[in-house]
Amino acid sequence: MDRVLEIGGFAAGYCGRLFVQGGAEVVRIESAHAPLGWVSSTALDLYLHPGKRRVLTDNPALIAELASHADIVVAEGATANVIDELGFNQWHAPVKVAITPFGRTGPKRNWRAAPNVLLAMGGYTNLMGDANRAPLTLPGHYVEFQSGGFAYTAANACRLADEANVIDISMLEVVMSLSQFTTVMWHCAGNIRSRHGSDFWSVVPTNLFQCSDGWVYVNIVPTFWDAFTVFIDHPELLVDERFTTNDLRMKNRDVLHEIIAAAVASQSRAELQARAGEHRVPIGVVLTVAEVLDDAHLAERSVWQQVTRMDGQSVRSPRPAWWLHDEPQPDLKLTPVEVVRGGN
Amino acid sequence: MADGPLRDIRILDLTHVWAGPLGTRILADLGATVVKIEAPMSRGPQVFPAGVTPIGGWIGGSPGDEPWNANAVLVKLQRNKQSIAIDLKTDAGRETFLDLVRIADVVIENFSARAMSGLGLDYQHLAEINPAIIYVAMPGFGASGPYRDRVAFGPTVEPMSGLTDVMGYGPDEPRNSAMALPDPVAAVSATAAVVTALRRRARTGQGAYVEMSLHEGGVALCGPWLIEHQLDGQVERIGNRHPQMAPHGVYRCSGSDAWIAIACSSDADWQALCGVLSGVEGGNLDPTSDLAHRRSAHDVIDAHISAWTQQHDKTHAAELLQAAGIAAGPLNATPDMVADPQVRERGFFVPLEPGPTLMPGSPIKMAGVSSDDWTPCPRLGADNATVLRDWLGYSETKIKALEEAKVLVDRPPA
Repeated sequence: MDRVLEIGGFAAGYCGRLFVQGGAEVVRIESAHAPLGWVSSTALDLYLHPGKRRVLTDNPALIAELASHADIVVAEGATANVIDELGFNQWHAPVKVAITPFGRTGPKRNWRAAPNVLLAMGGYTNLMGDANRAPLTLPGHYVEFQSGGFAYTAANACRLADEANVIDISMLEVVMSLSQFTTVMWHCAGNIRSRHGSDFWSVVPTNLFQCSDGWVYVNIVPTFWDAFTVFIDHPELLVDERFTTNDLRMKNRDVLHEIIAAAVASQSRAELQARAGEHRVPIGVVLTVAEVLDDAHLAERSVWQQVTRMDGQSVRSPRPAWWLHDEPQPDLKLTPVEVVRGGN
Repeated sequence: MADGPLRDIRILDLTHVWAGPLGTRILADLGATVVKIEAPMSRGPQVFPAGVTPIGGWIGGSPGDEPWNANAVLVKLQRNKQSIAIDLKTDAGRETFLDLVRIADVVIENFSARAMSGLGLDYQHLAEINPAIIYVAMPGFGASGPYRDRVAFGPTVEPMSGLTDVMGYGPDEPRNSAMALPDPVAAVSATAAVVTALRRRARTGQGAYVEMSLHEGGVALCGPWLIEHQLDGQVERIGNRHPQMAPHGVYRCSGSDAWIAIACSSDADWQALCGVLSGVEGGNLDPTSDLAHRRSAHDVIDAHISAWTQQHDKTHAAELLQAAGIAAGPLNATPDMVADPQVRERGFFVPLEPGPTLMPGSPIKMAGVSSDDWTPCPRLGADNATVLRDWLGYSETKIKALEEAKVLVDRPPA
């Protein structure tokens, strides 16, 4: 199994998390200046770092030595210079991955960034939130986790081919590479995609509606329109000339939204979900994080892994998004940070 | 075709829409030989209704003679792949597919949970003829559990993951990203799953059945909040603010719908920002304020920042703030993105298709992987004969018979 040295923030941490899940031996270099997360450092440690050996050091000689014993080094830096100053170029490991906000080359390689900056520059934020209001950034660690995912895939691909390589991952390019259709929409149709709240806009109805105990999202691509009219108890809409095509539904969006809002307002999320199952229409109810933790479907699908805290108690953490059947679960215990000062 | 470390890996790609094709595109960019197994109607009909334009437009600006090959959204996801258009509902089509499975490394699909078993092409069947096969299934809610038969798209599983509980303008104003966010999460996760399974196979010889549900991709993304809740921590919907950074937000600049994102992650950042804002009328902010004070005074601080940013173009404002060492960047629409000097210098956008149409490249830069050898989206069925001859040794006669029986096609049925 691989020995992986992990240095840096949440992107490297997520990459290391995936390696732990695959059975690798991961050593994480902790920093006295921990990055700032969307939740407490305890919660992030429990999510990202169980199963790793964690070492707090800023000793470059020790880091270089650990790198020389690693099969893979994954280093995340705030800028390209930070990666260079770590000694990245001098480390001897078959596969080395650098994750930085803008990549290791280019005029902005030393620009500072936080995820909201990368989401903005990468074209995401411009599309989220209401028209005529400030755009909305995406909370959480999407940018870092996706970057960590790319790092993991690239490093494993090199190891599979028994190939030494140095990998440069730009988090900005990660965001841009995961654009939905905004780039071709501009180049091929001449349209700049814009934001419309929760409304997907070009497929109607696709929006968030309030129901009796929360919210429900409907996403009715044309093939589901017929079933949807029955689902909301308005089969007459099938022959209503205002709504017979998606183009017409776009033109008459507001009145259609009013009809849907009235139809779902008195129903609960559970009722709507049950009816959606019967009628086979794509809807999703808004669940709180507490409800996600209690979700019967996720429980039945072995989504939750028990992570042992340093006090011996445990929390539930979602396994990686994939489920490799027949793979044993790793030992997910969060261990204390070992502080190493001075020489080797 | 693309070269890269996955050059010896053969992938049969039955995916459609976004998550699956995006995942296999990432693997193809890394050199995998990805053969799309396409249904004859998978790219739409021979003749599109007059006036109907796909959401992303047509490659080259018009549908041309083969509109099914010109849908820009589809084309964007298929570079570096080959295409076999085959009717899997015929016995001959099914047998041909099984012949491919015998020598493939990976099969990946994102149909509904029952579709492949309905064709007799689920993992159990495929593993009988190729025990080393790695089979990745990407149904919306997975292949088991109470929701397995529910219809799922990225935008509808997003609220069920917990993300909508934390995204929006405030406690009573949830918002969906309206970007089908679970799809790109599932795509990247699927690539990770494939290399994980391939490496396990390299160690053990074992094939694998891998599930990669859209829903669980979203749940994994929300992991930190799910744990925070168990620790009795606060999980809130706080708009553009950040629980541990202040100021943190999106601010209006000069120009139409022009904005900038700014994040101060330390007291030093804050002091630098105070210096930049010092010229603003009434802009005397206290550079000694700590995080707690800045969070409590966020509205006032935001007003000061906005007063400054509205005097500047978004790009210029970002440059001024970056010069002071502050994380800041303009909110880019597509024209801004492709013009950004950073991504231009790194050659990120690739003029692979006619137009030229710039496509996002790969964020993985390493020796041996270059867009110089990339190939554009193949025409439907473009590689029928080549793949069947080169992979399987099918004779020209056998291939012709499959074509005449319409088992293999290179255009949608009339």
